[in-house]
Amino acid sequence: MKIETQHLKRCDLITLQGRFDSNTAPDLEQALRASMDEGIYQIVLDMEQVEFFGSAAIRVLIMAYKECRARGRGDLRLAAIPERIAQVLNLVGILPLLQTYADKTEAVGSF
Amino acid sequence: MQPLELCVDSDLSRLADIAEFVAEGARQAGLSEDDVFAVQMAADEACTNSIEHAYGGRTGEVRVCCWTEGDQYVVRITDFGEPFDPESVPVPDTTAPLLERSIGGLGLFFMRELVDEIDFTSDAVQGNQVILRKRKSVS
Repeated sequence: MKIETQHLKRCDLITLQGRFDSNTAPDLEQALRASMDEGIYQIVLDMEQVEFFGSAAIRVLIMAYKECRARGRGDLRLAAIPERIAQVLNLVGILPLLQTYADKTEAVGSF
Repeated sequence: MQPLELCVDSDLSRLADIAEFVAEGARQAGLSEDDVFAVQMAADEACTNSIEHAYGGRTGEVRVCCWTEGDQYVVRITDFGEPFDPESVPVPDTTAPLLERSIGGLGLFFMRELVDEIDFTSDAVQGNQVILRKRKSVS
């Protein structure tokens, strides 16, 4: 599991890699928290290399989404979601509610 | 396939090993990659429950067994922690607006959605068992 945050002009781009289960979801929370603590509420999650995204990671996603949306133009947007992960997000009904993009360039450009 | 068994300490850092073990068994059983993913995720959520809730941070053992029965791949997860009552977990409202959604009960929701059958038993001798059954998809 690997997480990398890049500060861009209008948003933070957080690139995720590997497994996000109950063991690694706290690392995802920490990365999102770090951006939000700096006052950055426009965030893109690049999901392209995510292999697994369990309920603990989804809870973190919903928490951060709520917090970003509560700030003016804040939003948490997802890029390049692998098909199986998209199915999981769809199963809990959160996929249609999130802004999603085919790739990170498009997602970053949306802000 | 030969029945497989894996015993690990009740530590969340072992979830990746469990997932790999369950996925390998599912491939041996001839499940499609979509079904391998689904059963692996259901098992992950069941083991998370054992580690976080049944043992609640205490040290214990989580036992994972896999085998086939006819066209079904079966995964049994056993722990010896606090018994779990699935009826006590509220069902998440997956249609509520995201901003209003409460975020509990998702793990159990996934377990029920991702496999064809799920059974929970608790017994002083056998421990707490979750049995997941996934049928091979007809392709």
